[in-house]
Amino acid sequence: MTFDPEFALSILPRILSTITTTLFATIIGCMGAAALGFLWEIVRRSSKPGRYTMRFLIDFIRSTPLLVQIYFFYFVLPEYGLTLPGLVVGVLALSLYYSGYLAEVFKGGIDSIPAGQFEAAKALGLSRLQLIMFVIAPQMLRNVAAPMGNYFVSLLKATPYLAIIAVPEMLSVALEIASETFRYTEPMTVVGIIFLTLALCFSGLVKVIESRLRLSPKAG
Amino acid sequence: MQSALPPIAVALSNVSKWYGKFQVLTDINLTVKRGEKIVICGPSGSGKSTMIRCINRLEGHQRGKIVVGDTELTNDLKKVDEVRRDVGMVFQHFNLFPHLTILQNCTLAPIWVRKMSRRDAEEVAMDYLQRVKIPEQAHKYPGQLSGGQQQRVAIARSLCMNPKIMLFDEPTSALDPEMVKEVLDTMVSLASDGMTMLCVTHEMGFAREVADRVIFMDAGQIVETNAPEAFFSTPQHPRSKLFLSQIL
Repeated sequence: MTFDPEFALSILPRILSTITTTLFATIIGCMGAAALGFLWEIVRRSSKPGRYTMRFLIDFIRSTPLLVQIYFFYFVLPEYGLTLPGLVVGVLALSLYYSGYLAEVFKGGIDSIPAGQFEAAKALGLSRLQLIMFVIAPQMLRNVAAPMGNYFVSLLKATPYLAIIAVPEMLSVALEIASETFRYTEPMTVVGIIFLTLALCFSGLVKVIESRLRLSPKAG
Repeated sequence: MQSALPPIAVALSNVSKWYGKFQVLTDINLTVKRGEKIVICGPSGSGKSTMIRCINRLEGHQRGKIVVGDTELTNDLKKVDEVRRDVGMVFQHFNLFPHLTILQNCTLAPIWVRKMSRRDAEEVAMDYLQRVKIPEQAHKYPGQLSGGQQQRVAIARSLCMNPKIMLFDEPTSALDPEMVKEVLDTMVSLASDGMTMLCVTHEMGFAREVADRVIFMDAGQIVETNAPEAFFSTPQHPRSKLFLSQIL
């Protein structure tokens, strides 16, 4: 079966109509993953029990396949009376899965802040929360912009997993078209190109932010 | 106001501290009166930094008693915070916050810890930046300043919290020689205002000019306490003699 450009163009609008779902899942997923990942890392540093609990949680999250986690949340949670819409389950699963990786990224970002910064903040009488918010978080973000951005792009590319729990996003629409027309070449190509474009834009944005941060003054 | 404060600023009695099995401080006894200036010197590894870091509990002690003002330092975090609000500290490597401007460095703690309004905090900060003679740098970042300027900002940042005691941990050791004087001048002027000061430093000129007492430490112990002139001209303890002969 040869590639039919006319057919490809004709299905483009239908596939693009669900791009908002992809973008929504990506943006909320990134925010959720960053917030959870930061929380895990702060708890991990807070106390000995916190350290062991979080180490287990993070390893657990990272050592189980995302696909399994999504199925688990979608089919197992309702058995315990918690039925959520597919999109919500999907965003939760993406957030949780990537939070495990981001916690590790944040760990490196905090480790590379000199001990003197913590000491100066403590000596000034800042509370733990103030120390985290005003001294640690901003310096950490500067350190982790690049690796965090890579995981955000990776999260974007993981959104098609939501197709398996019937969330109407770009891949699921493409699969629909394929089963209606028995043509796979064009729908898959179109979806691939759209993701390629999104991912390139996304990583371009990350590069811009990264170089902005690098330009802002540092301690000499 | 001055009379309302307890006459003893800091009292350490029989303070000992260990890192694992290694004992860094052994039976330290030291009473600092309000307004007194103490210079602490000694070879590296003698525990002088550790001792002053115990006073604002950047390090905990395992035995003995440390009272700052009328608050005893224990594991009670409330009391630790209380003490830290009243004790300023200046570090060897300045430790300014690189992501904040000079002015923001100076107003962060007053706004969030002292609950001052931003306007009042900025006014106070500009006052102190004036005093350390760099008000024109207020909107720059620490990385754009020289070492000496950064250290003066660090002093101003501490003073903005209106501390009753100032701790200096080798404030000039990381500076290029030509910048040492500007920092010492700032410290001398602070001393003449009656601030209680504990300074770990090897600046003998500063010790002669400012110190009420010089404390010499070795191997975790205070081995000699003396008036500065006497300490430098006729040190009593053989280890002080050896140390002075090596650095002078």
